[in-house]
Amino acid sequence: MSRIGVFICHCGENISRTVDVERVAQEVGRLPGVAFSTDYKYMCSDPGQTLVKKAIQEQKLSHVVVAACSPRMHEKTFRKAVEAAGLNPFLCEMANIREHCSWVHENREEATVKAIDIVGMMVERVKKNRILPTITVPVTKRALVIGGGIAGIQAALDIADCGHEVILVEREPSIGGHMAQLSETFPTLDCSQCIMTPKMVDVANHPKIKLYTYSEIELVEGYIGNFQVTIKKKARSVDEDKCTGCGVCMTKCPQKKIPNKFDQNIGMRTAIYVPFPQAVPNTPVIDRDNCTWFKTGKCGVCQKVCGPGAIDFEQQDTLIVEAVGAIVVSTGFDLYTIAEKPKGSPIKGYGEFGHGKIPDVIDGMTFERLASASGPTGGKILRPSDGKEPKQIVFIQCVGSRAREKGISYCSKVCCMYTAKHTMLYHHKVHDGQAYVFFMDARTPGKSYDEFWRRSIEEEEAVYIRGMVSRLYQKGDKIVVMGSDISVGVQVEIEADMVVLATAIQPQKGADALAQKLGISYDKYHFYSEAHAKLRPVECATAGIYLAGACQGPKDIPETVSQASAAAAKVMALFSRNQMEREPIVARVREAGCVGCFACKKVCAYGAVEEKEIRDRQGNLIKVVAYVNPGVCAGCGTCQATCPSKSVELDGYTDEQIIAMIEAL
Amino acid sequence: MIKKKMIISQETMDVDFVRKVEALAGTSVRRCFQCGKCSAGCPMATFMEHPPNRIMRLLQLGQWQRVLAGRSIWYCVSCETCTTRCPNTVDLASIMDALRKLSWDSDGASKESYVQLANKLFLQNIRTYGRQYEMRLAAVFNVKSGQFLKDLMLGPKLIAKGKLKMFHSKNKNISEIEKIFTRIEEMRKKGDAL
Amino acid sequence: MGKPLNYSYYPGCSLHASASEYDLSTRELFNVLGIGLTEVPDWFCCGATPAHNVDELLSLALCAKNLELADKVEGDMAVACASCFSRLKTAQHVLGVSDVKRTQVEKAIDAPVKLDSNVKHLLEILAKDLGLERLAAAVNKPLSGLKVACYYGCLLTRPSDVPNLDCAEAPTIMEKVIEAVGAETVAWTHRLECCGANFTLSRPGVVIQLTNAVLESAKAAGADCIMVGCPLCHGNLDIRQKEIEGVYNTSYGLPVFYLTQLIGISVGLGADKLGLDAMMVNPMPLLKEKGLL
Repeated sequence: MSRIGVFICHCGENISRTVDVERVAQEVGRLPGVAFSTDYKYMCSDPGQTLVKKAIQEQKLSHVVVAACSPRMHEKTFRKAVEAAGLNPFLCEMANIREHCSWVHENREEATVKAIDIVGMMVERVKKNRILPTITVPVTKRALVIGGGIAGIQAALDIADCGHEVILVEREPSIGGHMAQLSETFPTLDCSQCIMTPKMVDVANHPKIKLYTYSEIELVEGYIGNFQVTIKKKARSVDEDKCTGCGVCMTKCPQKKIPNKFDQNIGMRTAIYVPFPQAVPNTPVIDRDNCTWFKTGKCGVCQKVCGPGAIDFEQQDTLIVEAVGAIVVSTGFDLYTIAEKPKGSPIKGYGEFGHGKIPDVIDGMTFERLASASGPTGGKILRPSDGKEPKQIVFIQCVGSRAREKGISYCSKVCCMYTAKHTMLYHHKVHDGQAYVFFMDARTPGKSYDEFWRRSIEEEEAVYIRGMVSRLYQKGDKIVVMGSDISVGVQVEIEADMVVLATAIQPQKGADALAQKLGISYDKYHFYSEAHAKLRPVECATAGIYLAGACQGPKDIPETVSQASAAAAKVMALFSRNQMEREPIVARVREAGCVGCFACKKVCAYGAVEEKEIRDRQGNLIKVVAYVNPGVCAGCGTCQATCPSKSVELDGYTDEQIIAMIEAL
Repeated sequence: MIKKKMIISQETMDVDFVRKVEALAGTSVRRCFQCGKCSAGCPMATFMEHPPNRIMRLLQLGQWQRVLAGRSIWYCVSCETCTTRCPNTVDLASIMDALRKLSWDSDGASKESYVQLANKLFLQNIRTYGRQYEMRLAAVFNVKSGQFLKDLMLGPKLIAKGKLKMFHSKNKNISEIEKIFTRIEEMRKKGDAL
Repeated sequence: MGKPLNYSYYPGCSLHASASEYDLSTRELFNVLGIGLTEVPDWFCCGATPAHNVDELLSLALCAKNLELADKVEGDMAVACASCFSRLKTAQHVLGVSDVKRTQVEKAIDAPVKLDSNVKHLLEILAKDLGLERLAAAVNKPLSGLKVACYYGCLLTRPSDVPNLDCAEAPTIMEKVIEAVGAETVAWTHRLECCGANFTLSRPGVVIQLTNAVLESAKAAGADCIMVGCPLCHGNLDIRQKEIEGVYNTSYGLPVFYLTQLIGISVGLGADKLGLDAMMVNPMPLLKEKGLL
């Protein structure tokens, strides 16, 4: 006869507000097999856990049910407590009466009845739980970092400096990401190139970092400690081993008028190119869509001028498989554009700002390239339309951000600060110019941030106008800005030479597809979701995968770097052990019943099912049955559902347990 | 207690009024975050004592007396620019409609009499004739507003161009229009409609 | 040729009075193009701006009543006036999303509300149902060399999710239609700005100011004339133009055509069939100069 202990948590008021926890404890206490039942305000706290441990010993409990929050939150906590009291941790189950009950219901009576049912089901289930031994698996002490912006670079360097190998994969031909595009950075105005490029060089020279640029993630298999990752290395058309980075190919390439994405398409590049002079690696790429050789089969100038013979038109995409134990995702952000969006996209464009067709209406990143000493204008602020210096410049904040109507309702977090910075850069470069900023609120929490914003107004003489802009239109060579100042309640009309829009931060294009490959979750905007907003901010719910930077939500550089180092610390904690314990929730084959049809093998997404020969004492083959490798099995249960002879059972989720739950209802 | 009227206090904040506006307009008042884009694009803002965003703010604070007493709501031309461009999906044009209705119902709360008079005559014409007859509308408006000479030079020219008809007839099914007006009045009397 | 096009026709009050040339030219043009129009029997006023301004329920009921009357005639509903078009579309939208209002309106008109009928502005019929190719094929006097400023005003496109005629901020449907019959169009800044609309009666001073900005913008863009699809816009731009010129001590001389008048010229209809003599700003010198009449 089992002696089950049931522990009902109030979760402060989260549960007890809607569920009569004392009544649940009373009613569940009467169920057959329940020896002890109680409630407590915070079961996960130290006194709460002590309560559980003491009850196990004093009441000689055989099984434990904790009715509280989701098992994703605290199952580990309570199983550890149960283990400390001398019980096998898998004899403890959680009944979720918070997310599945108190948070989603309003009627106290009905919620209480439902909570009693949920706990009752778990009581019947736990009776069928078996002692499970923990499984240990080896840890591959190599990390994969996806995305080579400042987040990826920081995480890779931190992990590599600890002595572990790192594979860094970057989609573009060079690492550096968006930070390499910036001119100067807030709130100290130090030059982005000066603080960024040395780190890029460190990556290139680090003996523990293997860098794959112009490469993408094709496939991710395995689980924490044991991932197999297939990387597609796109054909660069240049042999990286032979190329010396002399750059002759680029000077001689006759295709010179291709808009350079790194310069926000205002600067031009050749068909064989490095995105910017400080690129790492300094090995060019041939842009096959724009190369005359690839379009017509003629030209080949680069090949003729290349001394070491590094140009290889025949190069193919290659697939590389790497084994890693942990993955850091740091794919960063993309900027919202005001152009008309394709039909069906939930994100709308800005017709009232000309849908991106007014040439001197640019976005913040384009302004960065204009202001950058290494940019297409050599650091001069010049209008794209006619190359004149704008004397009246208007900045507009919250374009796309905080705009539910356009499909994005979040705050992009960095725009208030970078716009303040832009007004300063402008004032430093155009002494007789005037900057105006249309804004809603200035959001400047951060060390020295508010002082920085105030400096833009008080010392750099930017005119801040509290109010949004209704419309922009071209009038002659001016752009008319129709705004308003809500403090004084009058309309404001400015004839500007150039308009800079602080457009919203969005996740990288294809963020959803990568998430699906990795098996991690994302929100409706495709920002990646952390396991817990407060307590596990750099971990994914999927074990062994960590997040760094703006792929998780808008972030500035200091925050991104902190998060990258935090993710690296998590990886290092994992790598501090040779073996790791994993949950023994794996499938087992009942060999007597298995007929060897291997339907399970076909459906297993993890390749965990193997074929096992059964022989008699003389060594004669009797039959071939399925065998599940517990190291590889992810415990998804697909084989259990598929097996026609019902010979597969998933430990912790056996048919017997599930049927017991259903019967209890 | 003159001071009480001058300042905003909990005594002057009328949340029920805001709820009524929201029910009539089918849109949220609370949602407005005062970005001012409505006022920036409003063609009539320069004629109003409170620009549109301030009307919204006064509403959020339940200051219906201040909103209804002014001429702002009557100077809204229903061009829908505010609704079209509001970043936060507030249907301000419908809120203006709701405010005018509430002002209309309280009869004469507003200072703006000409627009109200024009509206009143317009609706009377529909009730009587089923359709609108511009000549009649303009003539009666000028008489009632005491502007006998307004657009004096325009009238004869328009008549010459065939743009103003001197005579008009009633719809054959005119009784149906009267029924619609009466049914709505009855619904309101019974409290079935706002 | 596709299937025959037949519509129930809702002219609206203005087309029976101040905008009679819009009515005349619409009937004549659609006749030439082989598009059938049957006037909605005993239609009522849609309530226009005054009704929704002070009594949304009445406005919705009047529109619902007209939709019910139009249902007796075969085909989608063709609407000429931008204001009627906006009111009918808005009513369909509001009654579609609010059960409370639909119930109230059904009580008021004592009949079920018809939400499934298609309400179309003339522009939509010409550009989409007939199609630009078929429209172009009917042209025998292309409007070559005529520079047209297409004026949308407010109600053809706003708010973005209601009329669904074209993009609310960057529409092109008027330009496409008039370019199909050979005219040139000008890019100008005020094609979506408000003219002051029905304030022409109660507050003409406001209208004069707003309409002046529209005329000024069209003139600055080098337009020969303005094209509209709304009797109120027409009233302000055409009827008040002389007065505005006086107030601002300037001269615009911009004839203001209804879209059906300009297209009517291109398919060979005469001045008498298009009501050109009803226009306050005389279009004859311009049309003669361009060799169009």
